Amino acid sequence: MLVFVTVGSTRFDALVQAAVSEQVLDALHKKGYKRIVIQRGNSDFRREAGSNGEDLVVFEKNGLEVETWKFKSSVQSEVERADLVVSHAGAGTILDALRQGKPMIVVPNPTLLDDHQGELSSRLEALGYLTASTVDNLAATISAFDPSRLIPFPPFDGSRFRRLIDQEMGYNVNPS
Amino acid sequence: MEWGRLMSGTVLCLLISRIFLVIYRFSLRSERPLRRDTDTCSLAIFLGSGGHTAEASILLSALDFSRYCPRTYIFSEGDELSSRRVVALENAQSAKNTPLIGWSNYKLMRIPRARYVHQSSLSASFTTFKCFLACVHLITIAPLFHNVTLGKPFVDLLIMNGPGTCVPLCAAIMINRIIGLPTPKMVFVESFARVQSISQSGKLLLYIVDRFIVQWPEQIALTGDRGEYHGWLV
Repeated sequence: MLVFVTVGSTRFDALVQAAVSEQVLDALHKKGYKRIVIQRGNSDFRREAGSNGEDLVVFEKNGLEVETWKFKSSVQSEVERADLVVSHAGAGTILDALRQGKPMIVVPNPTLLDDHQGELSSRLEALGYLTASTVDNLAATISAFDPSRLIPFPPFDGSRFRRLIDQEMGYNVNPS
Repeated sequence: MEWGRLMSGTVLCLLISRIFLVIYRFSLRSERPLRRDTDTCSLAIFLGSGGHTAEASILLSALDFSRYCPRTYIFSEGDELSSRRVVALENAQSAKNTPLIGWSNYKLMRIPRARYVHQSSLSASFTTFKCFLACVHLITIAPLFHNVTLGKPFVDLLIMNGPGTCVPLCAAIMINRIIGLPTPKMVFVESFARVQSISQSGKLLLYIVDRFIVQWPEQIALTGDRGEYHGWLV
């Protein structure tokens, strides 16, 4: 089983460090995960041995194969192949993963301006679409995580925006 | 004496501008020229960093690309991620449909960043001003030279979803409105990520844009009587 960790286009040192920590990897291992892929963006990442600041780093730890890199033009395939997505609470990432039907644990980044990431993750958790966690709580959240209790996320409905714009621009929006 | 004349002259100009603005805005509100189904409508969409671009792409994917063309994607200098995302979106849209006039009919436009992450307020005011000048060029000056008929704005519709650099853009559009030059319709869609608060740019643009859309019902109360909720748009 594969877990994909992503921070989008941001920097989230704490999440990246937690993702390679003993506690989190151990919790994942106990749940049956064999591989973890971490898209770390601009986050600081230091490995004890052999870290020259290179982009791609691969190693084994706590029974998991760990792979991490900074960016890819599209993380579509990583999300597709993942059995669990752990991500920063960015709207784009959340919409992407939830619409692909992936169980999600979302970690708001408290260092970002005015904590609006926290608003979204709390609300979506309250609605049952995902589970939110803090960085410190991540291992415990993973251990307690039950994807079967999550509610499927509604599919994209483009008709609302289309109608709104058509109406504003003077097109006939009434069914003929 | 000189200063006295200058001051009263300035006040008079401001008053006239104010009156003109009020009248113009009032007439703009009720004006919604009807379009035939086959008419096209040019649009520009402003792309900010990361999440804003992701949401903007989703919004745009809802629209009929053969109707809304040509499309101009405006983004900040240095934002390569957005430009790649745009190309991916346009390719995906044209792959989905038989290529017609209107598909792949787009251009990318870069403007200087208004502010950088962690930038100090002082230097941010300089970069914002530089961005504003670029916007004035884009919105006011360039169309005067490019459009055959003076009556057309640089695009018919401008869509924004919150990044800071869209504020200078709207300021430039307001200048056009004060002067009396044609302007695009402005539609602001607050980010899906904003559940209990309105973004900074949203607060600034609330009374300037033509439509202000929020995606969570809790936000309606924060927008006076200006905000609209139509469910999730992304």
